Amino acid sequence: MKKYLLTAGALLLWSGTALAGGADTVTMPANTYKAIMDRLDALQKRVDMLEEGGKTAPAPAPAAVSREEFDKLNGDISNIYDTLDVVETKTLKDRINWGAEVRTRVDNYKLSDLGPNDTQIKYVNGAPTLSPMSGDEDDDNNWTNRFRLNMDAQINPTLSFHGRMTVYKNWGDSDYTTTALYNDMNRAHRPETSGVKLDRAYVDWVPDFAVPIALTVGRHPSTEGPPLEYKENRQRQSTYPALLFDAENDGIVATLGLERYTGLKNSGWRLAYGKGYHSDDDDSSSFSFFDDANAGDTNMYATFLESEIPGLKNSLVVLSYAQMTDLPSSFLGKDSPISVGDMDLYGIHMQASNFLDSRFDIFASWAADRTDANGNFVDYSTLFGRPTYMGLLSDGTEDRSGSSIFAGVRYTIPFTPLHDPKIGFEYNHGSKYWMSMTMASTEMFNKLATRGDAYELYYIQPVNENLFFRIGYTFIEYDYTGSGSHLGQPVETDAELENYYLLMDVRF
Amino acid sequence: MKWRIVCCMALATALSTSAVYADGGALFRQKCGSCHQKGGQAPPVNPADKAAVVWQKFFDRNRHATDISGVITADELKSVIEYLKQFAADSDRPETAAIPK
Repeated sequence: MKKYLLTAGALLLWSGTALAGGADTVTMPANTYKAIMDRLDALQKRVDMLEEGGKTAPAPAPAAVSREEFDKLNGDISNIYDTLDVVETKTLKDRINWGAEVRTRVDNYKLSDLGPNDTQIKYVNGAPTLSPMSGDEDDDNNWTNRFRLNMDAQINPTLSFHGRMTVYKNWGDSDYTTTALYNDMNRAHRPETSGVKLDRAYVDWVPDFAVPIALTVGRHPSTEGPPLEYKENRQRQSTYPALLFDAENDGIVATLGLERYTGLKNSGWRLAYGKGYHSDDDDSSSFSFFDDANAGDTNMYATFLESEIPGLKNSLVVLSYAQMTDLPSSFLGKDSPISVGDMDLYGIHMQASNFLDSRFDIFASWAADRTDANGNFVDYSTLFGRPTYMGLLSDGTEDRSGSSIFAGVRYTIPFTPLHDPKIGFEYNHGSKYWMSMTMASTEMFNKLATRGDAYELYYIQPVNENLFFRIGYTFIEYDYTGSGSHLGQPVETDAELENYYLLMDVRF
Repeated sequence: MKWRIVCCMALATALSTSAVYADGGALFRQKCGSCHQKGGQAPPVNPADKAAVVWQKFFDRNRHATDISGVITADELKSVIEYLKQFAADSDRPETAAIPK
């Protein structure tokens, strides 16, 4: 192209010269001259442009390869494909991602001001026996190890699996079932049962429906719910607010996403069904999987409505209602449990992380319970040595109402040399007839079930993204006995519990 | 009576589905196994050697080392591929010994 343009320009000049009859000087009208020069300028610009474009023109075609080179390249590509086959197959076979948590914790408990109403039932030679408690009781230097093996898998685009197996033990745990030859020092090196503690195992199915719905089926995530993630220094762990429900549970949960309908961020509606207690005939029948005819099951039906609080980022509000039917009378000895009645639980929970960019995480929960006793009770008069009839939060004839509040704050200290440690405070108060489903509490004394006042102050020291320490102090003033139990009439107590603890968490 | 009919239909469906893979398996052992065998022209091969999508890509890219068009028809190859995918390494029943190693 360039050649043609140059030739055209030259011809243009030559033609002008020829028209002049070969004389040295060409005479032409000024406007003609100007037109020729303009034309030349335009052609020159076109040439410059083409030359510039030529610099980025495609490279010349490679020289033809020899047969040997082609075979070698072909072989190399085949080898790469074979290697990719192995890698891709290996990747597709790695269906489960594994994670682990190790927690070592030391507690120093002290129970004080125990009175005549503070009793516990112990097993002596296999029989339930009343064991009075009075004065003070200490349990210093109580060390525990907790190991969790976490699993998850994206089975296919609509189906995922999550699981957790847990070992949680006292250091050197050896009780009356052990012998001198078989105890905690060789427990993992001697054959015993096939039991493994299954904490969670559930699938999330998010079908490609017109409405945003998800089904969670199995032993689902029902422990350490909001706001316990602040103290545990991790992401939200459960669907349910901790004050209402913090227990391992098998069930089915249907979640309907509401964000597209309400415009409220992270809003959803949950319906849940599960079983709290199920008793079968494994103590007395060849058909151990048959239901115990007397006990019935504790079925749980619940619904939860949750959303981010409008205008408050990283926040959460949850409205909850749950009903538990046929709560059992007892698990003591060989008593065959009977139903003592039903119970409703309802509440509201609110929390906000980094509230208004203040580095404060805050939360407040309120919950209440209402029982519907069916008149049944178990007579423990002989055991207690006085008339003692254990029905649902009463002698079986009264319906009860209780409530609890739970509030707290955590502050992230902006101090980079110490990796931004955190300090937090929690308070909860439960009334005389407060009853929660918080049996899986991370504190062994079920703090949120307290019928009285509980205070906790803690400090979290991160070391790196996998390791942190927590030190804390808990003080509980019990007003009534039986915290965490739905059986029997609560009576007044002056008991107090103090606990200093230190724990180390490693997660990876 | 209805439930018997439903059961029979379900059984028939299950059996017909199995038959497809049984044919694929027989074809695999017969056609592929003629060369891919211990001491044969090619090393033994089994469905569990690759994941299902890897098998599919293998044939989509026409990566078999030799031309097999004279040994197996297109329809037969399709059945074999379905069999390989059904019992592939990432299936719930990986087949490792259809052709002994």
